[in-house]
Amino acid sequence: MKNSEKVLSKKPKRWLINLIFGLSLILALFLSFQGSTINLLRWSTFGYAIKAMLNGFTEINPEFLFGYGSRQFVEGIVYMAIQTLAIAFIGTFLGAILALPFSFLAAERIVGKKASKIGITIITIIRVFPEIILALMFVKAIGMNPLTCVIAIGIHSIGMLGKMFSESIDNMDIGPIEALNAVGANTWQKIRYGILPQVIPELTSTTLYRFDINIRSASVLGVIGTLAGGFGALLLLASTDPHNQWNTIATLLIVIVVLVLIVDNISAYLRKKLV
Amino acid sequence: MNKFQITNGKTIIKPFNKIWFIIAILITLVIILWQFITYDPSMIDMSQLFVIVKQMFTPKNTILSQRTWGDYFAFMWELRNPLWITIQMSIGGTIIGSIFAIPFAILAARNVFKNKYISVPFRFIMNLIRTIPVILLAIIGVAMVGTGVLSGIIGFTVFSFGIMAKMLYEAIETVDMNPFEALESTGANKFQAFSYAIVPQIFSPFVSILLYIFELNIRASAILGFVGINGIGEVISVNRLYNYDRVGAAVIVLFILIFALQLINSHVRGKLQ
Amino acid sequence: MIKFVDVTKTYLNGVQALKGVNLEIQDGEFVAIIGLSGAGKSTMLRSINKMIEITSGQIYIDGIDVSSIKGKELRMLRRSIGMIFQSFNLVKKMSVFNNVLSGRVAYHSTCKTILGLFPKQEKILALDSLDAMGILDKAFTRADQLSGGQQQRVALARALTQEPKVILADEPVASLDPITTIQVMDDFAKVNKEFGITIVANMHHVDLALKYATRIIGVKDGLVVFDGKSDEINDQTLVNIYGRSLKHDELLGDPNE
Repeated sequence: MKNSEKVLSKKPKRWLINLIFGLSLILALFLSFQGSTINLLRWSTFGYAIKAMLNGFTEINPEFLFGYGSRQFVEGIVYMAIQTLAIAFIGTFLGAILALPFSFLAAERIVGKKASKIGITIITIIRVFPEIILALMFVKAIGMNPLTCVIAIGIHSIGMLGKMFSESIDNMDIGPIEALNAVGANTWQKIRYGILPQVIPELTSTTLYRFDINIRSASVLGVIGTLAGGFGALLLLASTDPHNQWNTIATLLIVIVVLVLIVDNISAYLRKKLV
Repeated sequence: MNKFQITNGKTIIKPFNKIWFIIAILITLVIILWQFITYDPSMIDMSQLFVIVKQMFTPKNTILSQRTWGDYFAFMWELRNPLWITIQMSIGGTIIGSIFAIPFAILAARNVFKNKYISVPFRFIMNLIRTIPVILLAIIGVAMVGTGVLSGIIGFTVFSFGIMAKMLYEAIETVDMNPFEALESTGANKFQAFSYAIVPQIFSPFVSILLYIFELNIRASAILGFVGINGIGEVISVNRLYNYDRVGAAVIVLFILIFALQLINSHVRGKLQ
Repeated sequence: MIKFVDVTKTYLNGVQALKGVNLEIQDGEFVAIIGLSGAGKSTMLRSINKMIEITSGQIYIDGIDVSSIKGKELRMLRRSIGMIFQSFNLVKKMSVFNNVLSGRVAYHSTCKTILGLFPKQEKILALDSLDAMGILDKAFTRADQLSGGQQQRVALARALTQEPKVILADEPVASLDPITTIQVMDDFAKVNKEFGITIVANMHHVDLALKYATRIIGVKDGLVVFDGKSDEINDQTLVNIYGRSLKHDELLGDPNE
């Protein structure tokens, strides 16, 4: 037997691993469909649903858009879009400002290894709560209104931004801090002249990216109640009887897609300018 | 004001600092947008926050219903059915959406298809799909097939597709293209070169993204209950007005699941490195 | 036999890389192409297996006009020509064995290769090639676990597995340290002598080219300015090729110094 034949017999059985991986994917897929009653009736309505959806796009009720006629402007979807923008913008703004002190607390560079653990723990705990849970809790304290959504998004942003901010701070160039140490600067002076000038472009970029994500959250957070602002009222209306609300769904789809695309592009443009 | 005269008589002008301009714009925007945030200041009572936290994480104790810790944990155990439905929908959506995303990601990657007329439209479609919130996709799912696991799977499939397609094409664009060239030099066709030079490089990113999307889907399931999708989110939305202890129990179960997923993800990611 | 007839290449940006190259390379030769960077060495080498398309002229390989073929015919031609790159071009996350075996894909249908179905004798062939390069024991380790010299040997084994008539090497040792360089060049010499494979290599280090190659082709500004046996090279011919005397980094020197 040649050397190479001996080696070949020792070849690890990768195909076995691949087979197990593939089979477990198929099994998971199979299990996930258990209980979903796919019957012929469903499939016959499927075609109808597609047709109804396309009809929905052609039958968009203009009253939805600006709320004239029987509706007021504040009931129109354009108002809702602006309100969504407001919720996301102010939520991100508050979150970013409040995230700064938290991120300093969590940065090893600033407070040392031990103290940073405390800051990191606080940020992690904040981050665990999804916005929807925060919103449910703040409804009790603030009421069913857009402010609740702002606060929920703001607090969740503190957790997300705080983590990324503190990472940026820990990754920055230590040289200027050393130089400031050498001139006898105190902690506040070091932050003002050594740290902030270095990290602000990156923090701004992170915040803009968060704004992207928050506009998506803000557009759906309103489902906690009809008065919670954003598109909540329309989402709830659409979900109460979705089979007959195709034009509501189509309107929502178009307006949300346009709103998110606009915010995405503005934020991408600003981030590009920052670099 | 921005003109300085130094000791030898020379003058120098300090350029206008943009930062004040930007801060002014930001503050103006906040003030304008604040007008759309309507609320009733007399209603605000922050002490309620502590009340609700206590109500969520202790058994309900009112005149009408007095529940014990035993009831609290028994309810957690009852949550296994909705939890299973949530997991089913998330897994189904993650796998189907991710598989559909693979060809799109390849077509959108500029290092594989150098033709702009292919990558640009595919990217646009993917960006468009990614902007649709999962909750709206779920409503569409319900409108199509009624409530149930299937509508959730439809929503999560489209949602997962958008994320996977984008993250995967970005992963493909960072691969080392040199082996592709080497394979072409041996006479391999594009398919063979792709499967031997690029697939091995994107397999582990694919698995990481898959797990990440699964976690995202589980998180998103909390909100889906509000539009009538079954599962753990439904428990949260149904009980949100009167049974805070049940909302709390569901939140705890969801947190445990997300935490476990994060542990698994970081373990698998470590293995794949 | 490789034959260049009035080959020119003008890139889209207007750079004229080749300005009329005529030469013939016989089977079994070890040819080193030397010259300044930007002289057109790489273009010349890559046009042989049409990794770069030439602007005018013809390149014949065993009588086949390379510029006229495409698709399957071109792939069959490339199958018979191995290629070695400066940066090894291995899939780093794949095992050495699969990297070597991937040199074989052009022999099979797309379906079979995607499923990884190779006949047993081809797997043996891949391992034989690794054995010839002295790294059989590394067969089932991941390529990124290997040193640079070992990775280049894996690349050579991949080329050998193609069972080629010619191996083209584009700066094969430029990213290796001096001692590994000597080892890899010894491997090239072995492939040339024992397997009888023609080798055409771009070389940065002139002394290395003189030591290993049987024939030197000097390129300057897209033209062949020297073509002869390595012992015909002297200081004057080098000045002709380089337009100046050699710099220190163009000589490898004696690594054992």
